[in-house]
Amino acid sequence: MMEKQKRYEALVRAFHADIYRYAYWLVKDKAIAEDIVQETFLRAWRSLDSLKDEKAAKSWLITILRRENARRFERKQFDLVDIDDVSVADDHASQDNELEHRELRNLMAGLSEEYREPLMLQIMFGFSGEEIAQQLGLNKNTVMTRLFRARNQLKEALDSDGSLRGRNSG
Amino acid sequence: MDELEFRRRVYANPDTTDVDVLEAARDDATKLSFLNDMRVMNSQLRQAAEVPVPEDLANKLIWQQSMVEHVKQKQRTKWYVAMAASVAFLFTISFVMTQQGRVISLGNEALAHMHHASDELGFATTTVSLKQVNKRLEEYGATLVSDIGPIEVANYCHLNKIRSLHMILNSDNGPVSVFVVPHSDDATVPSSFGNDEYQGQGYQFKHANMMVVGDKHADISQFKKRLTNSIQFSA
Repeated sequence: MMEKQKRYEALVRAFHADIYRYAYWLVKDKAIAEDIVQETFLRAWRSLDSLKDEKAAKSWLITILRRENARRFERKQFDLVDIDDVSVADDHASQDNELEHRELRNLMAGLSEEYREPLMLQIMFGFSGEEIAQQLGLNKNTVMTRLFRARNQLKEALDSDGSLRGRNSG
Repeated sequence: MDELEFRRRVYANPDTTDVDVLEAARDDATKLSFLNDMRVMNSQLRQAAEVPVPEDLANKLIWQQSMVEHVKQKQRTKWYVAMAASVAFLFTISFVMTQQGRVISLGNEALAHMHHASDELGFATTTVSLKQVNKRLEEYGATLVSDIGPIEVANYCHLNKIRSLHMILNSDNGPVSVFVVPHSDDATVPSSFGNDEYQGQGYQFKHANMMVVGDKHADISQFKKRLTNSIQFSA
């Protein structure tokens, strides 16, 4: 029991931040993200014995998280909001580059989920095309196409916006 | 590598280490500039993606897990207690059932009672009238229709929890006890019984049973004959 407890605490400390952020980018709501993360780690605790390979912990947690999120969708379909109406939260606007980050966050939040999710797996977890494909149950070509389109859309939005243009090309 | 393919590959992964992409960038300033731009954007995206994590989230996650575990533990305890209670309950039930299933012979009960009877006799100052006796016999559907001699005592007593009437009569052979016992599923009246001091006989009537107990050497058959002639059970 103590052994399991230690393993769990190590798991929480190592991954809670990334998992929370991933949840946040899935649902774009801090409170819901936190709920999902709690559910995710509860389930992780219950089936911790099934996690044999510590290297697989990250994708194992992401799998649980995505399942929890899907479950939430089944439960709360009526709660869905149009993604365009959601303004992305920001707690630390005081920093210099926060303005820039805020804009990027809004743009990323504006991506459709099928583009946003592989993008987050790539930039946050450093997953390869194959790993993303496996995680999302897609083939690698589809994943690469989505990643291409995601960044293409972001680039176009930034270019047309112009506020980051100078910095980006400089 | 043409421009379109190059851009597709870089868009899909600006941090690519694919040799053909890197070589194409090295050989072409425009491509290199595009690659660098995309890397800058990607690093900004990465930073922007790092939204602030709620303070103490890790502790919260550990706490909620220990709470869930605690509740589970308590439920487990409750389950054990409930189980133990059920077992105790079943045990009690089965004990009661086996006790009920056991048919007790009242002969020994009557003999045990005889010791008290001699005490009671000592306190009896007057005899009990026939009327008083019949009043008590009414409960058992019995009546004494004729005098069978002086009745010293007529008291209710419990033979194995069965409320019975105990009468002590003076006969030619000394004091004789008569027990009138209502029918009961878990008790029988033996036709004859006895110990070192007393002997007894039992009779079954339609509405109640009777036991006659007297001194070991007394002729209780004769008394019994008189008694059965005198007592009547209502239909």
